[in-house]
Amino acid sequence: MTDKILTKEEQAVKAAKMKLIRSLLPIAGLIAVFILFNILTNGRMISHMHLALSQVYVTMIAAMGVFFIMTMGGLDFSQGSILGISAIVVCYVSNYSIPLSIVAGIIAGAAIGAVNGYFYVRRKIKSFIVTICTMFLFRGLIKYLTTEAPVAGSPYLVMMDSTEFKVMCTAIVIIIGYICFVHTKFGTYLKAIGAGEKAAMFSGIRTDMVKFWVYVLSGAITGFAAFISAIKVGSVTSSGGNQLETQILIALVLGGMPISGGAMARFGNCVVGSLLYVILSSGLTMMGFSTQMMQLIQGVIFLLFVFIFADRKSIHVIK
Amino acid sequence: MTEEVRLQVQDISKTFGITKALQHVSFNVNKGEVHALIGENGSGKSTLTNMLTGIYPMESGKFIMDGVEIHPKNQVDANNMGIAIIVQELGTLSGLTVAENIFLGHEERFITMGFRNTNQMNAEANRLLQQYGFDHIKANKMVDEYNFEDRKLIEIVKATYFHPKIVVVDETTTALSQEGREELYKHMNRIRDEGSTVIFISHDLSEILDKSDTITVLRDGIYIDTVKSKDVTEEDLKRLMVGREITGDYYRADYGEKISDEVVLSVKDVTVPGVIHNVSFDLHKGEILGFGGLSESGMHEVGKAIFGASYDREGEVVLADGTHINSIPQAIAHSIAYTSKDRDNESIVINQSIRDNIVLPSLDKLTRIPKLPFLNWAAIKAFALKYAREMSVKMQGTGQFVSELSGGNKQKVVLARWIGKDSDIVVLDSPTRGIDIKVKQDIYQQMDKMRKEGKSIIMISEELMELIGMCDRIIIMKEGTVSGEIMRNRDLNEHSLIEMMV
Repeated sequence: MTDKILTKEEQAVKAAKMKLIRSLLPIAGLIAVFILFNILTNGRMISHMHLALSQVYVTMIAAMGVFFIMTMGGLDFSQGSILGISAIVVCYVSNYSIPLSIVAGIIAGAAIGAVNGYFYVRRKIKSFIVTICTMFLFRGLIKYLTTEAPVAGSPYLVMMDSTEFKVMCTAIVIIIGYICFVHTKFGTYLKAIGAGEKAAMFSGIRTDMVKFWVYVLSGAITGFAAFISAIKVGSVTSSGGNQLETQILIALVLGGMPISGGAMARFGNCVVGSLLYVILSSGLTMMGFSTQMMQLIQGVIFLLFVFIFADRKSIHVIK
Repeated sequence: MTEEVRLQVQDISKTFGITKALQHVSFNVNKGEVHALIGENGSGKSTLTNMLTGIYPMESGKFIMDGVEIHPKNQVDANNMGIAIIVQELGTLSGLTVAENIFLGHEERFITMGFRNTNQMNAEANRLLQQYGFDHIKANKMVDEYNFEDRKLIEIVKATYFHPKIVVVDETTTALSQEGREELYKHMNRIRDEGSTVIFISHDLSEILDKSDTITVLRDGIYIDTVKSKDVTEEDLKRLMVGREITGDYYRADYGEKISDEVVLSVKDVTVPGVIHNVSFDLHKGEILGFGGLSESGMHEVGKAIFGASYDREGEVVLADGTHINSIPQAIAHSIAYTSKDRDNESIVINQSIRDNIVLPSLDKLTRIPKLPFLNWAAIKAFALKYAREMSVKMQGTGQFVSELSGGNKQKVVLARWIGKDSDIVVLDSPTRGIDIKVKQDIYQQMDKMRKEGKSIIMISEELMELIGMCDRIIIMKEGTVSGEIMRNRDLNEHSLIEMMV
């Protein structure tokens, strides 16, 4: 019996190392991708940073809502349609009052979130099926509302478009989200639901209520993101918010989010992931790749990250 | 009986990543015997039999059956060599019929020209079921239509109809009621009398002594000894398993203590359609109230009903102050705790840290400033560590995931959670299910301590010995209703309880 048996401490060290690699990889990736594209584009990226970042606000805000949903083990594919509908509502109402349009956008998003939540929680349909249905349903509605012409917002809307304003809005949303997730029981409850819903229920968490309201919350957050999106363009076309859901999903996975949610979810996932995604996609654009080529590259990277971060022990709990 | 060797286990080792599950284990198993394999959780019993039945690949060492070295590649392969297994949890596949389950992996005998003759297969399965005396099970029905017990009976047929040379019974009895056990014992004896071998794994030592001929003891993956059942006592076995003397009392030692008159919880006419019917009883302060019965008797539902976790519950669960309990959050808020029989799904959040599991119901009082929702993480860590230590959970730290813990340690985490919550009424459903002796003893001691602190405990269990050993009062359930009640006394034995159960 001369074989070396690893002690408990050594096992712990090894597990901690794996954890560290998992948590550092997205940040390391962010820095590496940033440096790589700056070299490849001869520094054009850093000199056009505001252009690259102009895409990050909407993605990051909306990704936070989906981050909450995925933490509790759900999925949401309807984010793009929520953004489109909310943006139409924002543009429409902005002709009367801009503050009111922000509220209206949030309410519209929350309403769609409530539809998702209702079918998921009360009617017990898997979340990805419900949200794929609502994605198509509301995408259809967007196309219908924009058949004649794009829905135009108040001319004052675009005048609000400034980097400072958007950074401020994003920062406020993210900071509030961070405090709720890390420093209140909200985050712990979401993780518990993602890690074992029935046991969470038997620990006294009102799981159905939490699940419903998180869908409403996520819709509302995307409704607010629709306002940020509307001030950038000033109107909504039939493609408003198109593919946002995939962008969010890729962003979260790039940020190290385990696809099955649960206790391994970290708030940094949505922030780092959104930045990484935006830098990656704008870098590829600056290098002159075609849209088709970019989709292909993104697909490969997505698969690679899912492969690395998938928590195979709990993959079956996606709801 | 002549002692002819059926199976030689030679120098078997197995590692999982960095854990050594088995180290150079060698022993012999004879023909025509029930050979028990015992050891604490993690001693390597299941690992060994899983390799023998082809569930895990072999690593080093040899299995020699009837003089021939064997390397089962999977369960079907093992079956073909004459080795079968009946497992602890569900071993039948949902969505298939009874006949399809029985002949899973062996359908070729019913296949002609690529088509399966379902009628022939069903007829053969029905014939077998009748031969075994399980007439109420029909071959063409979906297994989902049968309850846990019946599905175990189907497994018995599946594992033994082809007269295998070795049948492994892996902790099957813990999941069965007394009735189901009797049925299983009968078939174990039959297999032995036919000259085949049963390898029997169980945590229940009295059952082991009663039903087996030879006993092999493993400890931490190492072979300790093989003894004849008739030569040893339960105490001897405990000593071999743990490696030292088990000291102190196993169960409570006191008798004749008077139960307080103070009622802390009243259950009045509680009915859960199809499960329990008009159950009423009072729980007193500082009392351990036991619930016994067959697993289908409805006693497990009583625990859920008290905790507000049953669907469509009728009747009342009322606390001493008149509060009615109707939901889980309400039950927890009024100091009721519950641990489920289904530990991994209902008690513990499996893919989460020990810390989060312990603090979950107590988060409201672990905030920075009372009434504000901001959590105090330093207090949370200290809280989790305090109660994990109090329950002596074996862990690397409170950040470790509970999925990595053994059954006994998981149960300790659940108890730590409710002790941390300082619950006054504790409902424990099968608290020692699948747990080894040492941890069992810890749990019994903890229960005794809580009782002395004036907390009231409801203990639901299929193990009659622990009910007799621990409870002030035992209520026996039968077919969803209360069928009897017995007070604690020295002369109580299993038989008087079983009479009321069946």
